Amino acid sequence: MASKWFVAKRILLLVPVLTGVATLVFAILHISPGDPARVMAGQRATAEQIELIRQETGLNDPIWIQYGRFLADTAQLSFGDSYVLKPNQPVASILKNSIPITIELAVYGQLMGITLGLPLGVLSAIKQDSITDHITRIGALTGISVPIFWSGPVVIILFSVMLGIFPTNGRIAQGFFLSDTWLFFGNELPVTGLITIDTLLLGRYDAFASAVRHLFLPASVIGIYSMALISRMMRSSMLEVIRQDYIRTARAKGQGEKITMLKHGLKNAFIPVITVIGIQFGTLLGGAVLTETVFGIQGMGMILVEAIEVGDYPVVQGAVLVFALLFTLVNLGVDITYSYLDPRIQQ
Amino acid sequence: MERAARPGSASELWAWIRDRLRLVGSAALVGGVLAALGVVGSLLLTQYGLAVVSTQLFSLAALCFGFGLLGWSGSVLAGTGVEHAQRYLDTDTDWTEDDSRRAMARIGGFGFGGMLGVICVASLLGV
Amino acid sequence: MSTRTQNTRRQGGIRGLFARIRASQFLSELASNRLAIVGLVIITTMAGLAIYARVFIGGVPPLTEGQYQAIIHSNLGGNSDLAKASPSLQYPFGLDGQARSIFPRVMYGAWLALKWGTITVGASTVLGVGLGVVAAYYGDITDNVIMRAMDVLLAFPSLLLALALVTIFGTGLENAVLALVLVYTPRFARVVRGAALKVMEDEYIDATVALGARDFRVLVRHVVPNCLAPVTVQSTLNFGLAIIDLAALSFLGFGAEAGTPSWGMMLSNGVEHGLHSAWWWAFFPGLFLALTVLGFNLLGDGMRDALDPRMRDAVD
Repeated sequence: MASKWFVAKRILLLVPVLTGVATLVFAILHISPGDPARVMAGQRATAEQIELIRQETGLNDPIWIQYGRFLADTAQLSFGDSYVLKPNQPVASILKNSIPITIELAVYGQLMGITLGLPLGVLSAIKQDSITDHITRIGALTGISVPIFWSGPVVIILFSVMLGIFPTNGRIAQGFFLSDTWLFFGNELPVTGLITIDTLLLGRYDAFASAVRHLFLPASVIGIYSMALISRMMRSSMLEVIRQDYIRTARAKGQGEKITMLKHGLKNAFIPVITVIGIQFGTLLGGAVLTETVFGIQGMGMILVEAIEVGDYPVVQGAVLVFALLFTLVNLGVDITYSYLDPRIQQ
Repeated sequence: MERAARPGSASELWAWIRDRLRLVGSAALVGGVLAALGVVGSLLLTQYGLAVVSTQLFSLAALCFGFGLLGWSGSVLAGTGVEHAQRYLDTDTDWTEDDSRRAMARIGGFGFGGMLGVICVASLLGV
Repeated sequence: MSTRTQNTRRQGGIRGLFARIRASQFLSELASNRLAIVGLVIITTMAGLAIYARVFIGGVPPLTEGQYQAIIHSNLGGNSDLAKASPSLQYPFGLDGQARSIFPRVMYGAWLALKWGTITVGASTVLGVGLGVVAAYYGDITDNVIMRAMDVLLAFPSLLLALALVTIFGTGLENAVLALVLVYTPRFARVVRGAALKVMEDEYIDATVALGARDFRVLVRHVVPNCLAPVTVQSTLNFGLAIIDLAALSFLGFGAEAGTPSWGMMLSNGVEHGLHSAWWWAFFPGLFLALTVLGFNLLGDGMRDALDPRMRDAVD
């Protein structure tokens, strides 16, 4: 077991991954036609004002100097100040509050997808070509055909507007204050920034209930989509395992069919699926962009979209880097889990 | 596999390094020459000044470099995941981490060479 | 001698392809798949609506607001009291905020979706086939560099990659299409490369080369036609994805212009302004969008099963 080296190597690899992403972002923003100085100065600025900004921000320096400075700044996690969205506010502080929002959304969505998708996939595979199988497959196909920006509005219309069971948008009902200050919940969270965890840590069960009710619809929309993907994957992986010889042998030895499936099949079928779940996390982040827009949640996705729209480059850079970091960390976690499930991988 | 390839003695270490240097270096050389020609060419053929030309070409080269770097480290990091994903994506694939790392080293080296090429030529011509 | 028998058994070119499709069980397999038939029916219906809308409702897209007023509201007499009217017999999908009937707009959206979907998928197919065939034919470094670069592109989530590309190209429908073409090309390149490699294992390609045929001729006449089947499956599956992603980019404000009767724009408008007051604004465009995509996914799944029964249980 070379477990420590395995983990250390993967953590070290974060450096080139993030340098690569940072370089890509830098290149993309400098190839693109927009002039950051003009964006910063605003529509009515004169040529002199723009020139002044170019000099102040170093946009007149040779490009490689700018690149070097950009890498050095990024390494210290300083992404500069926002141009447009919240002028002169550091990007890090803008992103700080929105990162946990997106993480929370993605994690609960993915959890829903996994807890529903895995059993459905297994069921579908065990009862291949039965009614259950057909319904699951058609359901999964429908799930990946329905875009999040339609299923989102539909559940809002149904459950919020018509039935009034869940709130339409936001993270928590107005009027919940942190116990010893006048700060609203949702604007500043004291511990982790994850609202479902912080409310519990503070013992505010009423606020917790409200937060869960707010989170339910958006997380479900992501969850349904991810469930569809996972159940399809799990079904095919499970079928592949069932057809392998050792399952037949085990069955021939006279063990009960269901026990055989569970004992031998599940673990082996799950191994490839878990790695794909890690890669699918990227799709989920893409889904978070749309979900946040539909539900009016001020997460990373919404900030990224707004920043691209107005050409706020530092915010775009910061948001993309954080997305990349999240994606890499999730895959790192998956990789480590995977290496425990299948020790051959560490050779 | 990768650990088995790890060097034991000094001569092996040198061979190990030389192999990789040759791979990245040849690509970097091509990139550098192309970038230098690109700078001179666009200065002669278009009406853009050195600042614009060097910015655009440097960014293009950086795009290759970043792409290669990300691809290289990504292949190592998510190699197993990708191999599984490929299997479930379509019928015939022979994706291997090793091939991917080599290809990415080429692309990245090409981009890095290009960045250096732009720096050299643009500094010589005076920015 | 053996060359001649090879050639009669496996013709190159389009004629050979048709012969092989007829000989294989592809069509009968496909016809026996009920879900694929359902998909085909959905797609045909949408295409019918699209053509109807294009011929009887729209002029040359994008329609100016004036043309809309003239064509779509002729029966309203400019009565703005009717704005936001809910679905009724006269206006099956209700009216929008400018008292425009949503039904013809949704039908026209089918035309836009299928048109731009075709352009996106068509362009990425051509690019992907080119790259894939070249990679397979020349092999070695060319192959490795092209395909591994494609793999990295594939690893990016499609919507996020499209967003990054839109940042480079700028917003607008044409740029969104261009971005998506680049996003989808790797999928085609990979499928084509796999198929092309298999074709080239056949002796008759070697024979053709030995007989002195030029590279390009061999590629176009013999390799490409033999890859068309998997490419068609991939195109069908990607068609649905292209429609969703284009609508998503429009929804986020990076695609079609405001006021365009595309499904994405109508959804965006419905979510922004009508979520609480007029559910039909977002509901119907999205319903048609989802149905169309489902149609393509059902058909694509069925085609893949028919093409390669071993793959029946695999997943895209």
